[in-house]
Amino acid sequence: MLNLLQIEWMKVKGYKAFWIFTILYFFAIVGINYTGFYINELTVQSMPASTFLLGTPYGFPKVWQTVGWMSSWLLYFPGILFIMLLTNEFNFKTHRQNIIDGWSRTQFISVKFVFAILFSVVATLFNFLVALLFGFLTTGSVFHFEGMENIGYIFIQTLAYISFAMFLAVIFRRSGVAIAVFFLFGLIFEYLITVLINYKLNLSPVGYFLPLQVTDVMLPIPFGNKVIYKDSPAVYILVIASLIYIGAYYFFSLKKFKTEDL
Amino acid sequence: MPVLTIDNLSKKYGPVQALKNVSFTVPKGCVFGILGPNGSGKTTLLGTIMDVLKPTSGSYLLFDEMPTENQRKGIGTLLETPNFYHYLSGEDNLQISAAIKGRGKEDIPRVLEMVNLTQRKDSKFNTYSLGMKQRLAIASCLLGNPEVLVFDEPTNGLDPVGIAEIRELMKRLHQEGKTIIMASHLLDEVEKVCTHVAILKKGELIASGDVNAILVNEDLIEISAGDMVKLKEVTAKLKEVTTIKQDGNMLQLFYPAGRADMGEVNKFCFENGIVLTHLLLKKKSLEAKFFELTNN
Repeated sequence: MLNLLQIEWMKVKGYKAFWIFTILYFFAIVGINYTGFYINELTVQSMPASTFLLGTPYGFPKVWQTVGWMSSWLLYFPGILFIMLLTNEFNFKTHRQNIIDGWSRTQFISVKFVFAILFSVVATLFNFLVALLFGFLTTGSVFHFEGMENIGYIFIQTLAYISFAMFLAVIFRRSGVAIAVFFLFGLIFEYLITVLINYKLNLSPVGYFLPLQVTDVMLPIPFGNKVIYKDSPAVYILVIASLIYIGAYYFFSLKKFKTEDL
Repeated sequence: MPVLTIDNLSKKYGPVQALKNVSFTVPKGCVFGILGPNGSGKTTLLGTIMDVLKPTSGSYLLFDEMPTENQRKGIGTLLETPNFYHYLSGEDNLQISAAIKGRGKEDIPRVLEMVNLTQRKDSKFNTYSLGMKQRLAIASCLLGNPEVLVFDEPTNGLDPVGIAEIRELMKRLHQEGKTIIMASHLLDEVEKVCTHVAILKKGELIASGDVNAILVNEDLIEISAGDMVKLKEVTAKLKEVTTIKQDGNMLQLFYPAGRADMGEVNKFCFENGIVLTHLLLKKKSLEAKFFELTNN
């Protein structure tokens, strides 16, 4: 696998869009959290009473969750990046050439998912550093390990978004279609379906188990989440469901890629 | 030991039957041409043995074994188009190919030199001309000096000098004892470089074997006389004629290439009491042979 990863890295490191996307994504993580941090400071300054509602989202121990939740809005960035990494192969027909040159079909798909895991690890580490930074910047906040399980949730959520995106890329093969479906489903239709299932059909909490929604509920908004996600299942169930989804994306991508004409 | 054994391979794309029960064997050390017009299934056949297409039925063996990805590492293949990462340089692309094949970087300068791309090795692939892309693909095939090479339309996009160079290269590789499997719709290409040939037409194998046996060059003399029955009797005694066919009120006499002698035929008939009313020598070209083989 190390050898496969080295080859994957050779493909990626010369790809300008990879670096642009990654750097913008990391800047955006700092940016979106700074925005949240700053707005919170302003709100507290002008209305000290608001802390009863909001708490101190950027202070320990809440900061782990706050940073994770804020950054999760940016997960479409690495999602698009990985859609492009896969559809590039289809466009250049290099997926064929890799097989012709001596990779198995399983190796081709597996190394992409392993690369996605590594990317998610790096993104999670970065989120950890950002959370640490804002935790220390918050006046009166003292470092605390409590709530650090949220770092694990950040990793799972990042990987879930990326592997969902890769799954769409394998299904649709064209970047335009895959990206459009990814955005429309993630930002609009999934919420719509959740609301329909949970409130119109009164099947709550079934609606929380949609592919991306399940990770959003696992790492929810740091205040008022009991109102927004009322009767949500226990976190460990959501974690298991998220992991099952990730496994399913891998399994079905592999299945499609292995049985089809390339 | 055969390099490739194809057994009853069929492939359907929906209603289109791209390959119909194709079977043949490629012996070691030959230059094997797969000849056929556009859409006859050549690329489908090669794509199937490289595992980028799944056959509908049938099977194939590589080196007398069930095919695996490791066997493909020892085969240099150019399938249909040069497939490379557009944003990487020629050299970086070859590094990826070499790494997948499990070979080091040492061989890259040699193969670049062989296809005259050394000067442009640092240019990005998407700045290459069609011919340069094709050369890079051939360079990639040559990485690690494999024993078997598969070329699908190798001279596509090359200029006349490039075409000649590639043909020379194939002859050299053949002399070194390599096995080359080549698909082409260009008959003279196959005739010039191949030792064996398989001819495909609409997915069906219509002939395969030694190139001299299949693409035999023939001369043809057309004759006619008042008494066709007697003419038939007499010409049956002619020497060197391989076959005689009647085409309307003409007789067609087939000779091995360069052996037809019109004077001799005329003299022989006259001495046997027949006056020819028509006598014509037709050099039967390979093109005609190809059309005969591939058309109804």
